[in-house]
Amino acid sequence: MLAAIAARIATALVTLAVVSLLVFALLSSLPGDAGDDEGPKPLPATFRAALRAQYHLDEPAVVRYGRWIADLIRGDLGTSLSSRRSVRELLGERLPVSLALNACALLVMIATAVPLGVLGAWKPGGRWDRAGLTLTTALYAVPVFWSALLLQWLFAVRLGWLPLAGIATEGATLGSLGAVADGLRHLVLPVACLAGGGLAYVTRFVRTSLVETSAGDGGRAARARGLSTLGYLWRHGLLQAGVPLLTLAGFLIPRLVGGSLLIEEIFGVPGVGSLMFESILARDIPVVLALTLISGIATLAGTTLADLLILCVDPRVRRAG
Amino acid sequence: MRASVSPVVAGGSLLGLVVLAALLAPWLTQDPAQIDLDSVLRPPSSAHLLGTDGLGRDVGARLLHGARTSLLIGFATGALSLLLGLPLGAAAGYFGGAVDSAASRLIESVMCFPGLVVAIALLSVGPPWLLALSEPVRIAIALGLIGWTPAARYMRGEFRRLRGSDAVIAARAAGAGHPRIILRHLLPRSLAPVVVSLAFGVGSAALAEAALSFVGVGISPPRASWGELLGQALHQAGRAWWLAVFPGGALFLLVLGCNRLGDGIRDRLDPIRPA
Repeated sequence: MLAAIAARIATALVTLAVVSLLVFALLSSLPGDAGDDEGPKPLPATFRAALRAQYHLDEPAVVRYGRWIADLIRGDLGTSLSSRRSVRELLGERLPVSLALNACALLVMIATAVPLGVLGAWKPGGRWDRAGLTLTTALYAVPVFWSALLLQWLFAVRLGWLPLAGIATEGATLGSLGAVADGLRHLVLPVACLAGGGLAYVTRFVRTSLVETSAGDGGRAARARGLSTLGYLWRHGLLQAGVPLLTLAGFLIPRLVGGSLLIEEIFGVPGVGSLMFESILARDIPVVLALTLISGIATLAGTTLADLLILCVDPRVRRAG
Repeated sequence: MRASVSPVVAGGSLLGLVVLAALLAPWLTQDPAQIDLDSVLRPPSSAHLLGTDGLGRDVGARLLHGARTSLLIGFATGALSLLLGLPLGAAAGYFGGAVDSAASRLIESVMCFPGLVVAIALLSVGPPWLLALSEPVRIAIALGLIGWTPAARYMRGEFRRLRGSDAVIAARAAGAGHPRIILRHLLPRSLAPVVVSLAFGVGSAALAEAALSFVGVGISPPRASWGELLGQALHQAGRAWWLAVFPGGALFLLVLGCNRLGDGIRDRLDPIRPA
């Protein structure tokens, strides 16, 4: 058990090193550095050399990589070129918004996908299962930015039920309860779009896992004891399906991050996604790279944690490992 | 369960429809770059069946020409992903051991990154050699660089499975070297999965191109792209539904077609897999 956990963590660390190398390679391939003269008069060679030395650009790539990693370990993610603020500070402002958005989306996604999956696995090949398959097949092909535009047009422009964009009504004087309600109203459309993006995949996944356990020995034993299929699925099947569901973390996190960028941009949500987008357009390279690295590390941490959890929860995996 | 229409046929016809639209675009429509400032943002009418965009260009014409962009980038990216992913996956699956570990770590690392974000970053602040290329090539390369992992994983799995098969053992016993075993025995048996990953790859690349053009780092006008039309729809903030409905619908049908085709071929190859 301990050996398996150690092996998994070692693998993750190697992957982490490769992730950081990829980001560093990207950083090194970008044009321009502090020594490039952009002004009308060329800089004196000594001045340029001094600038390059100040930013350690005169050192070999290996040394610069080492310095960069050392900075990262100290928690120094760099400084934004456009706002002159540290990336950490910017993240502190933007991250809570994105986390709230994505957590809500994840909750809605799972709360919808699990009942749909159970319904499909109840009678595989039955009417509900076929309807669910058709729905998820269609949903899988819907571009998330398209559904966002259509929902925005329908609910905000035509019906006027929900706000068009932003996270709060500007200039409104609301009590604390009113402010929460206002925030929730602003969240409905972005959360629906984000949740819809992964819904098809998760529903399929839940259904397939449930069909497998239900057709297996556990399902047969439960039915022999007189438990209905639906009862078995709710009481035992979901617990077993929950284990493979954990592996989805690795699939969902990058999708949520990518989807979050488009959704935050469309709905004017001031989160990490729109920070990324603004930084890309402003060619604010330190911020872009820091955010890329962080999302890579977050995904890696998510998959590794999921694998470790499975190792702890599922005795079959433990023995095999 | 027996489906009334096989997914291969359904997906193939959807994809075929888009290919046909792309091929016939110059004969079916007016000039997609024709600007007409007297008829800006007109809803669908007999003069412009799908309406006009923010510069009075015909949306129908831009839609059909956009199909060319989507397919061009879709197939180019798909091909590039195979070119990068297949050799790596094949080597990992065939040789195993240290080669497999190294390749697997690389695949895992690339999969850690949100692909769309990296593509946007590459295309906006990317290396000069990339930005010097023409738009479609640049986009295909950016998407291919991050999109090769499914093909590699697929190929790795296939080669791992086939490595121990009787055919390979027999070939090795007969004195065949690695290149001969790989090219003559393993590759022909793995070609079908290659087609499957190409089908999915084309769909997701077309989707990614639209997303890139939507946010403004992909295809830029006058070249037509569905994503660019959707981007205009966003800036009109719901005042021009036809700018959202038609290009988004076309993209939906193309992605649906590719996915159905991929699903269908996979199910045909693997009859044991539960539906």
